Amino acid sequence: MIQVLESLLFSTLEYAPALIFASLGAVLSERSGVVNIGVEGMMRVGAFAAAVAALAMPTSVALLAGMAAGAALAAIHAYLCVKWRSDQVVSGMALNLVALAGVTFLLESLYSPTGTPPIEQLHRWTLPGIASVPLLHALSGHSGMTYLALAAPFVFHLFLWRTAAGLRLRSAGEKPAAVATMGISVSLLRTLAVLGSGTLAGLGGAALSTSTLDRFEHHMPSGLGFMAVAAIVFGRWTPLGAFGAALFFAAGNALRIGLASSAPGVLEVIPQGFLLALPYVLTLLLLSTRQRQSGAPAALGTAYDPEAR
Amino acid sequence: MAEIELKSARLIQLSHISKAFGKVLALDDVSLELRPGEMLALVGENGAGKSSLMNVLYGLYHPDQGELRIKGERVRLRGPKDAIARGIGMVHQHFMLVPTLTVAENVVLGREPTRRGLLDLKRAQQEVEATCKRFGFQLDPTARISGLTVGSQQKVEIVKALHRGAQVLILDEPTAVLTPQEADELFRVARGLSAEGHTVVLISHKLKEVLAFAQRICVMRRGKMVASVAASQTDTRRLANLMITGEEESAAAPSLHVTAEGSAAATTASAGEPLLKLDGVCAGPKLTGATLEVRAGEIVGIAGVDGNGQRELAEVVTGLRPVDRGEVRLCGATGSLDPHEARHRGVSHVPEDRLLHAIVGPMRVDENVSLGRQEQPPFARGPWIDFTGRRERTQALAEAYDVRPRDPSIPCGRLSGGNQQKVVFARELDARPKLLVAVQPTRGLDIAAVAAVRRKLLEEKARGVGVLLVSLDLEEVLALSDRIYVMFEGKVAGERPRGADERELGALMLGGAAHG
Amino acid sequence: MAEPEAVEAPRSRFAEAIWASLPSVLSVGLSLLVCLLMIAITKGSLSIAGSAYLEMLRGGLGDFEAFGEAGVWTLLTRPWGEAATKAAILTFTGLSVAVAYRAGLFNIGAQGQMTVGAIAAAALGAKLSLPFGVHAAVCVLGAAAAGGAYGIIPAVLKLRRGVHEVISTIMLNWVAISLVENWLVVGPLRAAATGDNSISGTDQIAATAALPRLLSDGSRLHAGFPLALLAAFAAWIWLFRTRLGFETRAMGQNAEAARAAGIPSARRSLQAMVLAGALAGVAGSLLVQGTELRFPATLGAPYGFDGIAIALIGQTHPLGVGASALLFGILRAGGTRMQLLHVHKSFPELIQGLALLFVAGRLIWQWALTRRAKRAPAASGPPAPAAPAPPAPAAAVPSGGGA
Repeated sequence: MIQVLESLLFSTLEYAPALIFASLGAVLSERSGVVNIGVEGMMRVGAFAAAVAALAMPTSVALLAGMAAGAALAAIHAYLCVKWRSDQVVSGMALNLVALAGVTFLLESLYSPTGTPPIEQLHRWTLPGIASVPLLHALSGHSGMTYLALAAPFVFHLFLWRTAAGLRLRSAGEKPAAVATMGISVSLLRTLAVLGSGTLAGLGGAALSTSTLDRFEHHMPSGLGFMAVAAIVFGRWTPLGAFGAALFFAAGNALRIGLASSAPGVLEVIPQGFLLALPYVLTLLLLSTRQRQSGAPAALGTAYDPEAR
Repeated sequence: MAEIELKSARLIQLSHISKAFGKVLALDDVSLELRPGEMLALVGENGAGKSSLMNVLYGLYHPDQGELRIKGERVRLRGPKDAIARGIGMVHQHFMLVPTLTVAENVVLGREPTRRGLLDLKRAQQEVEATCKRFGFQLDPTARISGLTVGSQQKVEIVKALHRGAQVLILDEPTAVLTPQEADELFRVARGLSAEGHTVVLISHKLKEVLAFAQRICVMRRGKMVASVAASQTDTRRLANLMITGEEESAAAPSLHVTAEGSAAATTASAGEPLLKLDGVCAGPKLTGATLEVRAGEIVGIAGVDGNGQRELAEVVTGLRPVDRGEVRLCGATGSLDPHEARHRGVSHVPEDRLLHAIVGPMRVDENVSLGRQEQPPFARGPWIDFTGRRERTQALAEAYDVRPRDPSIPCGRLSGGNQQKVVFARELDARPKLLVAVQPTRGLDIAAVAAVRRKLLEEKARGVGVLLVSLDLEEVLALSDRIYVMFEGKVAGERPRGADERELGALMLGGAAHG
Repeated sequence: MAEPEAVEAPRSRFAEAIWASLPSVLSVGLSLLVCLLMIAITKGSLSIAGSAYLEMLRGGLGDFEAFGEAGVWTLLTRPWGEAATKAAILTFTGLSVAVAYRAGLFNIGAQGQMTVGAIAAAALGAKLSLPFGVHAAVCVLGAAAAGGAYGIIPAVLKLRRGVHEVISTIMLNWVAISLVENWLVVGPLRAAATGDNSISGTDQIAATAALPRLLSDGSRLHAGFPLALLAAFAAWIWLFRTRLGFETRAMGQNAEAARAAGIPSARRSLQAMVLAGALAGVAGSLLVQGTELRFPATLGAPYGFDGIAIALIGQTHPLGVGASALLFGILRAGGTRMQLLHVHKSFPELIQGLALLFVAGRLIWQWALTRRAKRAPAASGPPAPAAPAPPAPAAAVPSGGGA
């Protein structure tokens, strides 16, 4: 039994980083008032760029390329939504479509239709001292991404609720005019938040291609970006809530894949489709039982026009 | 020494400022000077450019032309940050507070005290408490904004400016949402600040309060500065003339004072059958027991401080809000209401916020005219839209109500505010209502349009229509109503006949028993 | 502010339509140009990029040169068939998004509704035995019903619980895809193993359920194409000529004002979402009954998401949707031929995605166009921003619940 739990925990920690980084990014952007459903696309370019870069340089450095690619896509989102007050959902969906088709095009032009050649995976760290402790043992043997992903939510919590910049960011998502009249640029705040969001989504994507797997595969991130959106809704737009939701969803994923390989009999009783649909059904159920109090920032999705009359 | 020199100097000079928004020239070569310790009022009709000028001074708008000098030094404000740094503070008409944050967090936003990189909330609270104490405000720094009264929120706004060391305090229409008592309190605070050497600029279009408050009054009209006069040397009539025509003495000025007395024919005595009877009506958290009556051929005014259930009352009568408890008898029937049913029984509605509740901005004028009766002739023929009938009726109404331009095919959102309101009135009165519910019908209109709206309401009354007039403008309620109900905390706190005393109504609005 | 009362002089409806569609036309043009340069850069030659585009046109519009030499009609009808089948599906998903958008709802869920419709059509097509003609119609209607029913869910969640439809439809997409592709198609509805060739997907539908082909055997042009044109026309009539459509549009542009005018907005929202779901469902049935003849292992191309692009490039006007679907149907049919030059067949999707991105920056176009207009002589220049905008959904706030 312990062994089953251990392997479940282990694979949860393998899948989780991508989802955690992407959700934290989405929290950042949406807390500042900008909807980001382009996470999926940003993850995709991040995963691709990191894998391509890792062919030429050490993988840990290649992560930067993934982050930069995510941020580049986010820069377009910020330019359209913050500077030109475009519809944030439309812009996000457009970026998803562009990333989907664009990466497919580049992948085929440069490598093969199915994926990049294998790269050197990120180094896996063995934590000394817990190798023999049952259960905790599963914490050892992951790449740096996992440990970073476990720490980052707390840093973000601190940032949003205990720093001046966090206060301003949250205010920009609740009442941008109040921020602007205090002499702080809403556009700058929101642009930085969206860029940060793209960087994190890119890192999340890079985690898929450099840590979870050892190459970019053509279907990546296969809907994880949308699951990240579910995670922030589930987690009421807070870093720790989104973290919890992301871990929970990742555990569900680990359970499904674990069952498929070790106990296919169970999947005869509970079809895989049910398990795949579960995170989304739960999010919907949660939303429909919550009494109108979603925790969403008040100005989410509305463009701020400083000279609006 | 230096301070004495400053006293006599001009603190702020705005010279030849121009600013255009698209095709509209909001400010046209405007100049203004502010002196230390001065109490100045800036008056003008809606859209005259008062707020735009102050937004230029606050760095929110960048002027196309002109220059700004502060303490003699020429400055270019890149944003509010520069203005704040130079001692300018502004209290906006719509509060700029984040409702989910505390008083202290709102006040320090933008200049937060930190300790080792983290926000130091303790110190923020202490600092805010100190500022409140210094200027004599009673506020709890840890209270959340969403739980404060409007009056307290305004104090937070003032504290916010003073906390940043504002020397010049701009108050944009500060009394619009306050009771007379709260307004008195505000002016007491403002006088205190002025005595300490602060310059206070009051933007307003309420001439009485301007004359009571200011030492100097500047009048704006259509983006231009038309006069700067000492308060002691003018009166409401002259100021009104200046606002409307740009000249102090003018025969051409339209009558400002359309009042119920003016249409002597219709008085309370002639009021007919009861159209609307509410008995202990509760709806939602804000309306907790309203009992009142409206008869045919009378205007019944609803007075009260914003947020005491007036809006909900209007929503109940027009079917927009379901009733929790109590009885609504409307045009002889008591069944439950929805907007469709209310219209069917003969209720027309001129809502508070045209662009939000009455008009579909991107749709054409004729489409907007058909709204509410879109399923009847001449607007529809069976399931089909009757394009010809719709256009013809719209053209006739545009003619009758002088909607400009007459073209029924332009998007309604591109008409001016006054013309949009004409479209709404034309549409609602064309339905031949028995009861007209008008909420803040003159908000945001210029004086000529206000007079036209008021005349229309009196005409309808004379025709035997019952009018329920909800307004936050006590003057308006007093001027038009045959009877007045005052609402406080969701209940009718009292009923007064026409000609009631303003102070007495004010006391009722605050929940106090009427004294005297 | 002191507003001038005179607005621009009235101009002809035709000029207005041209002016309104300009941002979309320019966006598509710019996107084509950017993508051309992209091939040129990756292939290192502008002429390769040019011939790739030429192949794309041959693949979508027909190979006229070869036809001129050989005189074989299938050289034209086959590409036409491919373009038309793709355009038909895109029209339906585009209309699905457009109809909801006009009602103030952003339907991200066309993909899920289409999946549900496709599986319904596949099941009805394989399990029932009905006479020719009736069978196909029953399958299409069944798909519409399934898609429509699936569209009710986000509408009810929004009306009853205040859940924003962007969030709920994203979730419902994945619920539908997971349940259909990872349960029904691999479980209860899996194709019966016939002999030793293992087929993925569901059973093949009966011949009576297939949409009738309109041309000779060489072309896959089927009845779905005229059906799509009919649907676009009907949607236009409904939205712009009938009272119900008027009420729906009024609600989409200002829900509060519509409610105050006595329009039953809950019922109109529900109707619009059912219609949107049904249209997406029919898109699924066209894929099954016209192209695949079964529900394949996965639906493949994300036509439902493409619907968002088609709808917005077509400015959520049913006829605009038809036009943009036709254009991208042609380009995508031609995409297969680009593979001759080693350009991935999904390349037209990149063109489409970029075009949507450029359309999203509508205000940039308006700014650029009015600036040009100002510089041009005042008399001949087009008038100031006519806001040729599709209506923004009442509130584009994808908060889960909330206000």
